[in-house]
Amino acid sequence: MTIHKPAALYMHIPFCRSRCAYCDFNTYAGLEELIPAYVTAVCREIEVAGERWGRLTVPTIYFGGGTPSLLPLDLVRELFQVARSRFYVSDDAEITLEANPGTVTVGYLRGLRSLGVNRLSLGVQSAHDDELRLLGRIHTWAEAVEAVEWAREAGFANLNLDLIFGLPAQTLARWHQTLEAALRLSPEHLSLYCLSVEEGTPLERRIASGALPAADEDLAAEMYELAEEMLAEAGYFHYEISNWAKANPKSQIPNYKPQKWWPEPETRSLKHETLSEEVSPYVCRHNLTYWRNEPWLGVGAGAHSWLGGRRWANVRHPREYIAACGTSCQLVPHQEVEEIDRRKEMGETMMLGLRLAEGVRDTRFQARFGRGLEQVFGAELAELQDLGLLEWNGRVTRLTARGRLVGNYVFAHFV
Amino acid sequence: MDQTHIRNFCLLAHIDHGKSTLADRLLELTDTIPARQMTEQVLDSMELEREKGVTIKASAVRMRYTATDGEEYELNLIDTPGHVDFSYEVSRALAACEGALLVVDAAQGIEAQTLANLYLALEADLEIVPVVNKIDLASARPDEVALELAELLGVEPHEVLRVSAKEGWGIEQVLKAVVTRLPPPRGDPNAPLRALIFDSHYDPYKGVVAYVRVVDGVLVQEEPLLLMATGAETEPIEVGIFTPEMNPTERLNAGEVGYVATGLKTVRECHVGDTLTSALHPASEPLPGYRPVKPMVFAGLYPVVNEDYNSLRSALEKLQLNDAALVFEPETSQALQFGFRCGFLGLFHMEIVQERLEREYGLDLIATAPSVAYQVVTRSGEIVEVASPADLPDPAIIEEIREPWMRIQVFTPADYIGPVMELITRRRGIYRTTEYLDSQRVVLTYEMPLSEMIVDLHDRLKSATRGYASLDYTFDGYRPGDLVRMDILVNKQPVDALALIVHRDQAYEKGSRLVRKMKEVIPRQLFKVPIQAAVGGRIVARATVSALRKDVLAKCYGGDVTRKRKLLERQKAGKKRLKQFGRVVIPQDAFLAVLRLDED
Repeated sequence: MTIHKPAALYMHIPFCRSRCAYCDFNTYAGLEELIPAYVTAVCREIEVAGERWGRLTVPTIYFGGGTPSLLPLDLVRELFQVARSRFYVSDDAEITLEANPGTVTVGYLRGLRSLGVNRLSLGVQSAHDDELRLLGRIHTWAEAVEAVEWAREAGFANLNLDLIFGLPAQTLARWHQTLEAALRLSPEHLSLYCLSVEEGTPLERRIASGALPAADEDLAAEMYELAEEMLAEAGYFHYEISNWAKANPKSQIPNYKPQKWWPEPETRSLKHETLSEEVSPYVCRHNLTYWRNEPWLGVGAGAHSWLGGRRWANVRHPREYIAACGTSCQLVPHQEVEEIDRRKEMGETMMLGLRLAEGVRDTRFQARFGRGLEQVFGAELAELQDLGLLEWNGRVTRLTARGRLVGNYVFAHFV
Repeated sequence: MDQTHIRNFCLLAHIDHGKSTLADRLLELTDTIPARQMTEQVLDSMELEREKGVTIKASAVRMRYTATDGEEYELNLIDTPGHVDFSYEVSRALAACEGALLVVDAAQGIEAQTLANLYLALEADLEIVPVVNKIDLASARPDEVALELAELLGVEPHEVLRVSAKEGWGIEQVLKAVVTRLPPPRGDPNAPLRALIFDSHYDPYKGVVAYVRVVDGVLVQEEPLLLMATGAETEPIEVGIFTPEMNPTERLNAGEVGYVATGLKTVRECHVGDTLTSALHPASEPLPGYRPVKPMVFAGLYPVVNEDYNSLRSALEKLQLNDAALVFEPETSQALQFGFRCGFLGLFHMEIVQERLEREYGLDLIATAPSVAYQVVTRSGEIVEVASPADLPDPAIIEEIREPWMRIQVFTPADYIGPVMELITRRRGIYRTTEYLDSQRVVLTYEMPLSEMIVDLHDRLKSATRGYASLDYTFDGYRPGDLVRMDILVNKQPVDALALIVHRDQAYEKGSRLVRKMKEVIPRQLFKVPIQAAVGGRIVARATVSALRKDVLAKCYGGDVTRKRKLLERQKAGKKRLKQFGRVVIPQDAFLAVLRLDED
């Protein structure tokens, strides 16, 4: 076992006040009374993982949910204490916590900040209250704005806002308004997600029954392009299919060009093979771990991990999870375990890496797999380049503007 | 058993009126199959038959029944195929019987197939026993339905039996009626052997097994046999009866039903309707009614992946062992590469074959739109048979194209004469006669091109008459027509497998409908795809599939990786099952779009 192996740390907090109409994540409403026992169980899992994997180096921690902002401060502190006692949490670690407007106060946010949380991700979703109701959100836009102000007051200098587009009956003009309103709040980071209607969600049932119209895919594509344009203008760097980060003022983001999403080589201020972090200090380093297909450890109910050549998921239900961690067993029972062979790992590296503007670099690929991109995926790269979906210059490959919209078509060539 | 103690009969019913369930009860009550061994619908042994609720192969089973007079009778129940594609096979199975039970649902009453079956049975000179089934249903109207049946058949209402096969009510009555009301066979036991072949199947150990009804004489295993139509001679390997398993008996007497393991290697040497006689003392005349099977509908079957070509060939060979009506020969298409042009009795037969190839042999297939066989007379006076539009010679050397015409009879309630006439006239049908069967029911006779019939006429007719009409047809002859080939261009490239032959007057209309339909079924691709219909190089219709704008997963974080990779793997595998033409993917539905032109 290698000691000090790096791994991002994800903690899943599956509790919500109420479930959103579109949500198919592993989340539960009305189980908040389990929170203390749940945190104890997560602490126990971290201890067990520490024994199993040794003292991992943890460059980033991410509290995801669910609604992690439902955790009382003392329980957040407890989680940090255990994590720090078992792992090397870097001094400059990026520590993100997802919060929902309507669940936080300025005092709570101050508390988080003082515990070491340095990045806050707020699920604001839309600047229109009727859209928020449609989505089943528990807050209004005014409350979202308030939450942003409180976050600034509490000292958060790295703030992400989540927005959703492609809603049933949403118009381009309404989306434009949401984007403008969000930009007025000057977040360091924006995640814009096209709504996907998942099976078994209340939203899906309402669309199936005809109570709501299905969203128009072509219109959603236009909304995406509108966002690309507006955010580039506002100085945001589009570094992943659904993610934008405010560019380093010194790094001088190039003019928006519809055909390229990466700075043109001739802008000189940026090398063609620049990494995301060099363009913006606000890119989410934790999420970059996923997209670069580097190892992470996930703890909590239903959390996935990718370590030591295998990926696994914990039992999903918090009650089962608590019970499993409470027994004397050494490991939380894993619901699914998948051995990832070389070929699969290469495919996943492409599927994930191509989501990034920085793309997949041949040198990294070679170092990791001992074979170059041309050797493994030469035919696929040539075909996709020919179709105008990929750029490939022998050193790095990335999606074109067109490719970003039909990513699945591209990724399917590599898996 | 002497002939006076034999009864040969069949069950006739509209679909879902309970024919198979009644058969099951008869087998149970006569202890042919003990209740505990009963699987539902014993006689429909093919998985597809149970699923579609339609008998595809005929079958026969012998029952022993002791009547109230203490005498033991031998009852042979012959099950018949249930689709108009197989009407010739049905007519031969009926010719093997003396009587029929006409089964009618007590809630539904008389329906189209009830009538069509009845006419077939009357044509075969069968004695009919009417049976009202499902009298246990809350919605049953047994009195009314019995009255309708009595009127239809010219019998007294009390002669109509009332049963519930599901509940087992009245089954004893049915057996009693079979013995007392159906006549025994009347063949001559001392005449030279004549046995009617009404079906056959291929057995890997015994070769072709012919299902036979001995009309005259005796069939014994020791004697060599002659098949009178094909002239084939053979030494039987085994003679026996179905109980319903094959049970050797060494001989079959006049009037009996059973099987002969002929030792023949393929069912094509053993035609349904042929007469078996003794090779040593042959009968002078065969039994009447024989007709060689002739495929009427042709389509290309192609494997989606070329590597499956040999598997497809061997699967077709295996199916052919059991299916004398299926013919095939290799065919090459620029678009679909290597496959087979196959001939079928009709669309239903084609569907069955395709499904069996996909299900039983695990093949992924593309079927081209069905076509009929045309006769092309060239300028030099030669006659060429063309079963695939792509094979039509250069128009410059064509003197005339002839197409097969059918004589069709539509049985319909008088209320629907209007819609039926409209439907058939639109399809180039030529009206001949109207006959009233009674005040409510008519038979319309038309002549129409077979090519217009195979495109869904049966289903259209059903929907134009709320399911009441039924259809019968016979081949009438080849007639010249003003026919042209219509090419379909996808992304500016003609796809030979999509070409079709149409009447010149219909080219514009059909072309427009076809490209519109294809636009619906061809998925959006990375770029826009024009679809055009062209006749003689001139574009007559055009539609465009717009380009795919967006297909990407918004979120892909740690917990999503496995799920999303699997989703993409499925997407990739799904694409492999589609044929790629240049950069365009054309799904199977597009090839059959021509069948759905009448849908809106």
